Amino acid sequence: MTTLDPHAAMQLSDAAVSIELETPDMTLNIGPQHPSTHGVLRLVAKVDGERVNSVEPVIGYMHRGYEKLAEVRTYPQITALVNRIDWVSGFANEVPFVGAIEKLLDIEVPERAQYIRLILTEMARIATHLVFTSSYPLELGASTPLMHVMREREHVLELLESVTGGRFHPNFNRVGGVKPAAGGGSTMKKQSQDLPAGFLAATEETMQNVLDVCDDADRLVTGNELFLARTVGVGVIPAAKALEYGVTGPNLRASGVKFDLRKVESLLPYDRFDFEIPVGLNGDCFDRYLVRLQEIRQSVAIIRQAIATIPAGPLRAKVPRILKVPPGEVYVRGENPKGEMGYYVISEGGRIPYRVKIRSASYSNISILPWILEGALIPDLVAILGSLDFVLGDVDR
Amino acid sequence: MARIISMARRIIAPIHRLLPFTGLRTGMWLTLKTLFKKPVTVNYPIEKETPVPRARGVIALDTDACTVCMLCARECPDWCIYIEGHKQEEPPAKEGGRVRTRATLDRFDIDYALCMYCGICVEVCPFDALFWSPDYEYSEFAISDMLHDKDRLTDWLATVPDPPGLERQ
Repeated sequence: MTTLDPHAAMQLSDAAVSIELETPDMTLNIGPQHPSTHGVLRLVAKVDGERVNSVEPVIGYMHRGYEKLAEVRTYPQITALVNRIDWVSGFANEVPFVGAIEKLLDIEVPERAQYIRLILTEMARIATHLVFTSSYPLELGASTPLMHVMREREHVLELLESVTGGRFHPNFNRVGGVKPAAGGGSTMKKQSQDLPAGFLAATEETMQNVLDVCDDADRLVTGNELFLARTVGVGVIPAAKALEYGVTGPNLRASGVKFDLRKVESLLPYDRFDFEIPVGLNGDCFDRYLVRLQEIRQSVAIIRQAIATIPAGPLRAKVPRILKVPPGEVYVRGENPKGEMGYYVISEGGRIPYRVKIRSASYSNISILPWILEGALIPDLVAILGSLDFVLGDVDR
Repeated sequence: MARIISMARRIIAPIHRLLPFTGLRTGMWLTLKTLFKKPVTVNYPIEKETPVPRARGVIALDTDACTVCMLCARECPDWCIYIEGHKQEEPPAKEGGRVRTRATLDRFDIDYALCMYCGICVEVCPFDALFWSPDYEYSEFAISDMLHDKDRLTDWLATVPDPPGLERQ
């Protein structure tokens, strides 16, 4: 029987430890057809086991060329196109675009039209954030909130439809106001497209339901142990990094930067209403969720104040029938539910713009993905992607 | 009553949180509560929802009002309206008067496979020939059947509702 020399044994165990398995990074394509990427975003991830070493987002699968298309379409036609950029909040996309043309034409929008725009924009914001509140827990494995929150979102969309005629693509804004009449002929011209009867009462009821469903979401999701475990401290974006990457909207505010275009510069009379900007503390996924939930409540407050004080008056300023915009260039931005939505419109005179540059919120928001996903775990990757709340149509345009 | 409930919630909720499986219990409790409620969804082919009067479902055409001015076809963002017409000579109104010509509509097709339901055609029509109808049941098996011709567009006219009353200003 040979006994193992202790010294040799030591060397042997050292040798065993020092043998490292060659584990090259695996390249994993997440998407473009993957449910957690919200559409056709492709992430080329270099993964080491469960850990993501680097991520390269590949975008453009949904490029529809709206900027180029805008060069061969008249201004009223582009209004119908722009609400397809971020289709979850169609109404909020139109307002900055018509605002840009109104600035070029130097038109004052009537008060009532401004209030109608504001109410419907806030409804679009509520609908968008309700989509987030329902789908984000689903991505983390909870399916009950989806059903309950989506139900109220449908009611908000019904209200939008009763005014504009479209649930997703309202096409209700016109240069100088809102859609004035159903048609241009002599009989239909008299019918104005003002708010339909019973709209204000129905809004009041729906807003109460929205607040109730926010409380439901609070009970179901906000305090849920599993949800907290998946989101608290995950995907932290420090305020400085968020500003560097040009992140805007609720994602920026969750990082603690109190920047909201509704307060800074707005086309709509937000300064007349009393509301707060919810701000997060840590900038993690949980804060991004909380900020959006609070924003729903603030939007409800704005809508309630607006329907209480909506003035009477005309719906549209005097605008020539064939819209010719004088030469000039202008950049107008507005607070889309996803962040800053801006249009840089260059006109050389005539019915068609020379160039329209669209600054969409989601495009800038996902530019932080390579930085934020470096070193994250794969399950966290889903949580982080969901919390940024981007729409691929808004990314690719 | 509502106040008592909300107070109870405020007091009980924090205690409730300390117990194990709270998330599971709150979720299942809500599921149980709504299990016996009337469903909010509609069993589509059997029951139907009525769309709002302003809903943009399908475009109806009034051929008598149309003067073949082509404004709708020109303003359409995706050029899904096809119009053909010809000038028809009509006898003069008075003896020895001038021979009048009248534009007659031969073809008016809307390709609903292309249409993006923006409503610009309805809006620009200067003679009230186009109307929105909230009817939506015209899906087809073949994409070529989505092209509605003059007769089919006229049939939709029966489904055009009266405009809704307006909110008092």
